[in-house]
Amino acid sequence: MANLPLDVQQALRKQAPRILKPGLKKEFKKKFDELKKEMIQEFLSHPVTVEINAGPKSTNISGTLGGKANLFSFIGFNANENPTKAILEILEKTTYKEVGDSKRSIGKEYSVTLPNANEIFAVTPMPWATGRSWAKGIETGISGLGYLLNKSTASSRSGVAIQTSKPVRRGGFKNMPYITALIKKYEKKFKDLS
Amino acid sequence: MIEQYHHKVTNSIILWFDHYLLSKGQAYTNMTGVNFYNYDDDRLDSSYQVYGSPYKQWVCDSSIAGATIPDGVIVGNTPSGQYNQSITGRSGMFMDFENGRVLVEGSNSNYDITSNFAVKDFNIYFTNETEDDLIAERKYVVNSRLPRPDESFIDPYDQVLPAIFINTSTAQNKDFAFGGMEETTITSTAAVLAEDSYQLDGVLSIFADSKNECVPVIPMSDHPYNEFNDLKSGVFNYKELSAKHSSSNKLFINNVTTSKLTDRARKSLTNDIFVGFIDFEIQQHRFRHQ
Repeated sequence: MANLPLDVQQALRKQAPRILKPGLKKEFKKKFDELKKEMIQEFLSHPVTVEINAGPKSTNISGTLGGKANLFSFIGFNANENPTKAILEILEKTTYKEVGDSKRSIGKEYSVTLPNANEIFAVTPMPWATGRSWAKGIETGISGLGYLLNKSTASSRSGVAIQTSKPVRRGGFKNMPYITALIKKYEKKFKDLS
Repeated sequence: MIEQYHHKVTNSIILWFDHYLLSKGQAYTNMTGVNFYNYDDDRLDSSYQVYGSPYKQWVCDSSIAGATIPDGVIVGNTPSGQYNQSITGRSGMFMDFENGRVLVEGSNSNYDITSNFAVKDFNIYFTNETEDDLIAERKYVVNSRLPRPDESFIDPYDQVLPAIFINTSTAQNKDFAFGGMEETTITSTAAVLAEDSYQLDGVLSIFADSKNECVPVIPMSDHPYNEFNDLKSGVFNYKELSAKHSSSNKLFINNVTTSKLTDRARKSLTNDIFVGFIDFEIQQHRFRHQ
């Protein structure tokens, strides 16, 4: 602005924020909403989420059990449970607020509140051991205990686990990146939002 | 094979876990005048006679205040008190702390042996078995610490309850700093199988508070036991041993999560036990390539 006359520079400083800020605000909101939607969509389309949402009669889409049985029964959820709902609710709470706003500056600074993995682990307890998270278990490994307990109950909670053959748990559980990777990825994406 | 990193980690975690539980929770019971019973053990050669106590896993750590660490046995009907602890200590015998027995040299199977010792409230075992095998499939003998009228020796080698099964399941290296320093994260799980809810809550409470503890790295050569599960040097003191290795790069308990099997799930178990889990996330910053 060195070449502009001083009075013009002063006028710009005074008027530009008032004119540009509403546009920036709108632009940010649009980008934020799109990114949030993308994050939720990625969560919903993750093979683990899809498999669990499909309930006790699903196939092992995620491949975590080598194609035998399914995660819903293996973890030992009740047939009418919706285990991923709590995660979805937390992701939906992702929000932002303006910080460091000054009437004289043109730009805007935003702070995004994204849940961390531990918050999600806290709301995803194993059906047979509260305190342990099934969502964390997807990443670090889950024993076949839930499946066995479910199987030995007179009326299986998931309704179908008792029909699954024993070698299911012998095959072992194959860990898979899930919540931590998702949050890490979108932490970066939200940070880069401009 | 020479000792590897994972060997050291496992050894260090088990020794620390045992000491932490005994010292923070005073999780032992002092027994006095306990009778020993002679039995055959075909894993041992004929130069030993086995005398077993009714309790497994005696406390061997002298740094546990108040615990009676046995240093021999009292022999009632032998000439001149051959194994009298006040006279000859452990001469001519091995004390098997793990299996709760003494191995006496010779062929005399009629000794009248008694001893005083502290027995752990929880047997500690290292395992590679899965939780489903440990909890849902196996059947256990409960080696209750309460004296019984029909008291006899406890069979050796079998794992008995109450017990804690420790497993170091996964390890992962991640780049941490310039110069090749890496962050090694080890996941270790302890499955607690208790006789009652009081015991279980006690253990879970103690270890839930172990977050941010530092564990000295102790090589297997400093493990206290010899092949008979007797003390290599006659005495073991964890505090002194950890002081000896205090300059080593320590393991850090970065996170601990405790949880309990729900009552509903518990009722479907074959054993009438109370089950809990302690999940440790242990970290160490080290130079893997050096």
